[in-house]
Amino acid sequence: MTEGLRSATIAPSRRARVGSGQPAGSAWLPGSLVWRVAVLSVVVVFVQISVVSEVPVFGVSIDLTPLLVAFTGLLCGSTMGAVAGFCVGLLIDLTLMQTLGVTSLTFTIIGYWGGRLRELRDPQAALTPLFVGAAAATAAMVGYSVIEFLLGVDAPVSLELLREIVVGVIVDTVVALPVWALVRRCLVGALPDDPRRRRRRRAYTTGGLSPLSGSRSVGR
Amino acid sequence: MYDKTVRRRRAVLALLVVLSLILLTAYFGEAGDGSLHSVQRGFLTVVSPIQDGANKALKPVRNLFGWFSSTLHAKSQNAELRKQLDKLRTEVTANQANERSYQELLKLYHLDSELSISDYKPVPATVVYQSPNIWYSIITIDKGSSSGVRVNDPVITGEGLIGKVTEVVPDAAQVSLITDSTVEVTAKISATGTIGMVQPEVGEPGKLLMRYLESTTSVTPGDYVVTSGTVSSRGESLYPKGIPIGQVTSVDEQSPFKSVDVSPLANLHSLDVVQVLTYASGSHAASLNDIAGSLTPSQQASSEEEAQGAQLASTGGGG
Repeated sequence: MTEGLRSATIAPSRRARVGSGQPAGSAWLPGSLVWRVAVLSVVVVFVQISVVSEVPVFGVSIDLTPLLVAFTGLLCGSTMGAVAGFCVGLLIDLTLMQTLGVTSLTFTIIGYWGGRLRELRDPQAALTPLFVGAAAATAAMVGYSVIEFLLGVDAPVSLELLREIVVGVIVDTVVALPVWALVRRCLVGALPDDPRRRRRRRAYTTGGLSPLSGSRSVGR
Repeated sequence: MYDKTVRRRRAVLALLVVLSLILLTAYFGEAGDGSLHSVQRGFLTVVSPIQDGANKALKPVRNLFGWFSSTLHAKSQNAELRKQLDKLRTEVTANQANERSYQELLKLYHLDSELSISDYKPVPATVVYQSPNIWYSIITIDKGSSSGVRVNDPVITGEGLIGKVTEVVPDAAQVSLITDSTVEVTAKISATGTIGMVQPEVGEPGKLLMRYLESTTSVTPGDYVVTSGTVSSRGESLYPKGIPIGQVTSVDEQSPFKSVDVSPLANLHSLDVVQVLTYASGSHAASLNDIAGSLTPSQQASSEEEAQGAQLASTGGGG
C-alpha cells in the first residue's frame, strides 16, 4: 500500500524519464524537488540552531545538517546533494557568523559523495542510512576540524577533541535512521527515481532473466 | 547524453568547491568591516527575528529534550556524587576522630597549665585497646618502658585521672582504670579538704565510692573529688595533687565512716588520647615515688596507725 502511494506521488514527467533508462541521478534539478529540499534545509537548519544545538547529549550536540545533506544526496543524486550541501553550509556559516565557505566546502563534498554512492552502488540494505549517516558525521567533523586547522585556528589536537569527534559521530549515527525517514518522507513525492523502486521494477520486468522466474521454470 | 550529464555534474561540483574556496579565502583575508562580513551581518539582521521567533516557539521542545538530557545526566551525576559522598563520609569520620583527639589534647594542655603536670614528664599515648567487658576496666596504650612509662604511673586525660599503669612492655602498657577493683586512690573533697579513699563501687561498674571520711565531715552532692597527693597503705600510688577524679552524687550517712558516691569526670568508655605521668628521674616527685615504692607493707601499716586512722600523710610537694 505504501509502495502504491509512493508510485502515485511521483510526477508523471519524472516517471517517464525514469522509464527511458536515463542513468540514476542524471536528471537536472527539478523544480518541485528543489523547493522541497530548500524548505527542508531551512527548517532543519533553524531547528538545529534553535533546539538541537542547545540540548547536549553525552557532552556533545547532535548535528542534523550533515545527515540532511548526505541523505539528500543519497535520495536525489550527486548534483542535488552538492548544491544542497553548499546552500546548507552557506546558511549555517551566515547564521552562525562563521568563516564563510568552511561548512559549504565540507557539506558540498558530503552531499556529492552521498549522491555518487547512490549512483554507483545503489545500496539497498536497511542499515545503509546508518552507515551513510556515520560517514557523513565523521566527514563533517574531521573536515571542519582540518579546514579550521589549515586556517590557523590555535587549538591543540587533544584527546578531548578526539573524544568529542567520536562521541559526536556515535550520537549522529544513532539519530541517522529517524532523520533518514524524515528526509525520505519529505522528498519522496518529488523524487525522480527511488533506488528500491527501481530495483523491484527491474526484477518484475526482466522476466526470464530474473532469478525468481528462473527457479520457477526449473521447478516446472 | 551521458557524457553531458557527467560533465554537468562535475562542473557543478567544481563550481561549488571553487565558490566555497573563494568565499573562504576572501572572508578569511578581509578585515572585519569587509564586504563579506557586512553581508553576513546583514543576513543576521534579517534572520535574527526569525531565529528569535523560532527560539521562542521551540522552547517547549527544547525544554522537553533538555529534561531528558538532564535526567540522563543526573543519573550519571548521581553515581558520581554517591562516590564523592562515600569519600567525604570517610573524611568526616577521620576529621571527627581528629577533632576529638584535638579536644582531648587541648584539655590536657589546660590541665597541664593549671596543675603543672609538665613537672611529671607527661608522655602522651593513644589508647590501642579497651576491654569491652565492663567488669575489667583495663585499657592498653601504645607507649611503654621505652618511652619512660613504669608500673604505677598515673594516667590522666583532659577531664582528670583515669587510672594507673599496671603492666609495662617496651612499646605498650596496660592501664587499670579507677573503676577497676585493683585500683584505690587517696583523694580529698575539693571544697573541704577532707581526705578519703576512692574505690570502685561494688556491683556498680563505672561508679566510684569514696570511703573513710570522718563522720563530722560536711559533704554535699556536687562537690568535686580530687587527688590528695598523698600515699598510704591502701593506696600506694603517688598521684599528683589536685587532679580531678569525680563529682559527689550522693552521701551515705549511716556508716561510722561516712562514704559518698562519686561519678568519674572522665568518660572512661570513650578514651582516645591519654597522658602518662612518668616522673622525670631526679625530680622531687620521682624521689617520693621511689620512697613509696620502697616501703614494706608493715612499715606502711605502722605509718598508718601513727596517723590514727587518717590514712594519709601529706607530701605537700605534689607527690
